Amino acid sequence: MVKQLFEWDYSSYPGAKRYPHLFKPIQIGNLMIPNRIKYAATEDNLNTHDGFVTDADVAYIRERAKGVVGGICTMQGVYMDRKRQGQGYVGQAAAWDDQFIPGLKRLADAIHEEKAIAGFQLMHCGRVGAVEVEYCQGPSVVPQRLRIFRPVQEMTREDIKQCVKEHVEAARRGLEAGFDVMEISGIVGYLVSNFISSYTNRRKDEYGGDIRGRMRFAVEIIQEVKKICGKDVPLGIRLCAEELLDDVRGNTPEESMISYQIAEEAGVDYISVTAGWQESIVPVISRDVPMGSWIHLAKRAKEHVKVPIQMAYRLFRPDLPNKAIGEGALDMWEMCRPMIADPHMPKKVLEGREEDIRHCVACNLCLARLFRDAPMTCYINPVCAHESDPRYASPPPAEEKKRVMIVGGGPAGLECAYMAARRGHDVHVYEKRKELGGEILEASKAPYGDEELMTCIHYQKAQCEKAGVTFHLGTEVTADRIREEMPDSVVLATGPTFSKIRTKGGDQPCVVNVLDVLSGKVQVGEKVVVWGNRKPGIGVALYLAKQKKKVTLIGRDRSAGFDINPSFKWRYMIYLAQNGVTLYNDCDIEEVGEGEVMVKTYDGYRFPVRCEHVVVTEREGNENLKQVVQEEGIELFVIGDALVPRNLSSAVHDGYRIGIRI
Amino acid sequence: MAFDAEKEITKLWRNLHNAQSEIQRTWYRWRQAALDGAGSAVNALEVSLKAAEVTGKEIGKGMLPRLNWLKGEEAWLMNLANQIAGQWINHGAVVTVGKGEQPFEVFIKWERCPWPTFAKEYGVRMEEDVLCCDRILQSMLVDVNVFFNVHYEIETLKAIPRGEGVCLRRLHRVKQGE
Repeated sequence: MVKQLFEWDYSSYPGAKRYPHLFKPIQIGNLMIPNRIKYAATEDNLNTHDGFVTDADVAYIRERAKGVVGGICTMQGVYMDRKRQGQGYVGQAAAWDDQFIPGLKRLADAIHEEKAIAGFQLMHCGRVGAVEVEYCQGPSVVPQRLRIFRPVQEMTREDIKQCVKEHVEAARRGLEAGFDVMEISGIVGYLVSNFISSYTNRRKDEYGGDIRGRMRFAVEIIQEVKKICGKDVPLGIRLCAEELLDDVRGNTPEESMISYQIAEEAGVDYISVTAGWQESIVPVISRDVPMGSWIHLAKRAKEHVKVPIQMAYRLFRPDLPNKAIGEGALDMWEMCRPMIADPHMPKKVLEGREEDIRHCVACNLCLARLFRDAPMTCYINPVCAHESDPRYASPPPAEEKKRVMIVGGGPAGLECAYMAARRGHDVHVYEKRKELGGEILEASKAPYGDEELMTCIHYQKAQCEKAGVTFHLGTEVTADRIREEMPDSVVLATGPTFSKIRTKGGDQPCVVNVLDVLSGKVQVGEKVVVWGNRKPGIGVALYLAKQKKKVTLIGRDRSAGFDINPSFKWRYMIYLAQNGVTLYNDCDIEEVGEGEVMVKTYDGYRFPVRCEHVVVTEREGNENLKQVVQEEGIELFVIGDALVPRNLSSAVHDGYRIGIRI
Repeated sequence: MAFDAEKEITKLWRNLHNAQSEIQRTWYRWRQAALDGAGSAVNALEVSLKAAEVTGKEIGKGMLPRLNWLKGEEAWLMNLANQIAGQWINHGAVVTVGKGEQPFEVFIKWERCPWPTFAKEYGVRMEEDVLCCDRILQSMLVDVNVFFNVHYEIETLKAIPRGEGVCLRRLHRVKQGE
């Protein structure tokens, strides 16, 4: 008898007609899942440092449960050992004792209250674990490539047996808490994957050797956990289809497929396909990897096993999984980051409200924060991890309706505009250009996926329109206009001013602005100096290098990309090198001369660099209009790059914070 | 634009050489501090060798992110040898790397090295300099061997401090059973 937990009828929804494959049921084990959507387990660092579930985590997961509209919502992986060697994140939930069951039950209950299926994940972080203790565990002592991880202790046979037992005990606690689906994490460098990989498993005993030996640990966990799950609770495993560890002699793709077959033989009811490890040097999920790049891995998995195949990994648009499922290359669409950026993403797809989706821009800030022991934050979604704070996540209507003038139609201004308008204010956005988007219009021209940045503007524009914001395009705000209109509040979201090269020759025609270059208004010569080594400089340097120009990037920061999060920055450093961009950090331009600039290092060395143009990307705050607003006694807010030049994320977060405060 | 290239390079060169000299001086100052702290019972060579071991292990760990197997073992080996050479080049030595006649064998040759000069300056025996270099090199390989699941060794064939004109070292894969 197939078990069905909740009744869902999608037939009247436009999304079900547009994406029919996403909203049809699927049987996994003995459980009928109403649709093909799953929020995949994602750490959020929101729980207490000793593993107890918090209100913040419950609120976070409840929103994702709403979003999956009847699908599977998986809580973050739990660590299972009292010694905490399996703990990979400071705020990771624990399940090593019955005292954790009440907290886990709160998560399961929250998911069920949204009529979704509650997924529970067992995750011993192995080689990347032991965040709070001295040594992590692994099958063999293979030194860490990344020094942030702990030294490895080789597990004895007794340790292995104990670890299997801990999986079973944790699974029991998950079941007692009310979870409906059980999942084992065997990916990205966590313990199960450490045993499976030839890179980290050098054992000579029955847990090492060929892929069958290396799978033994996984098989024992699967078989033992399966026993406790019984027939009604499906058991799945997340496994690497490609480790992308060829540089350190990891598994071949063929071995990975054998691991899938062995897992299936051992009794799993589904497999979630993943690619890469945290130690891989191949980019997998960042913006520079085109969407849909990894579907071939799901397809390959389908060719090797019969159990349903699930996958996340750069499937940010519903058309991609819908097509893959229709073609038989995939069975379920998993999401982590798209639902961090917009927890209700699939719900909006179902309701035919795709314009309301706040799309993830694949910047990996969320991961960078987790690895640095900070709570989850989203670059593009200011509400992420604040779901438990109603005044922040769902701010009340304004007590007094105000006429709000927002100067600037970029990401900061637009974010502020729709939030203020939703709260009842009469909001007017003034944009001197005839198009909304601010500097993102130009920034999105940079290569390696930056066109995805425009999704933020599309979302904000749609929200502004729905909230009744009035746009005044092609209208430059002057002091006279402010005095004439005398609004109750002014929000300056004008973007930055671009710095002048305040040295000899800095005013020559060969010195041009980054926005003019990216928009195509200015054509530059074959040899170009870009001044400023933060993201705008890196973006335009790569844009020009792609046109085969000889680019030299000069900046005052000690390392380039100071404003890019570390989980993405390494990609840019590689691209700069691959595209032949010469990089001089810790330097400034001392003089602009005929066909060259004089570069001066921080410690006083000087050298000339030949160039035909100098592209200015260095920015400063924008003080224009501030004085007149203050003189008139009008409430004033300065946000985004106008306040301090930073990045898109800061603009969006600034805009939101002021939008809920006016 | 007024630019005196010779002047800029001279400044840069002088500072580089000063920085390089500080590396060796710092080593020997700390050696002296360790010996003074440990008292007369301690064997100076043992202290130096322990420091060499710690240093070598650290350098070896630092090499892990920069080594990879993508182009096969021979390319990996040359990369490893060049990284070893690079360590001494940064200190002011002149070092070259050449393939050996045997597979998986390279020779690293130090034609000039600042370390013996500083050993002399600080009153340290020449043989200690040789043994410390050996220990650093061997310790570097510990984590590299485990990480890549290989077995490489390095042996000293000639040494400047022994009056042999150059330091010559053979880095090679150890055959199974050796």
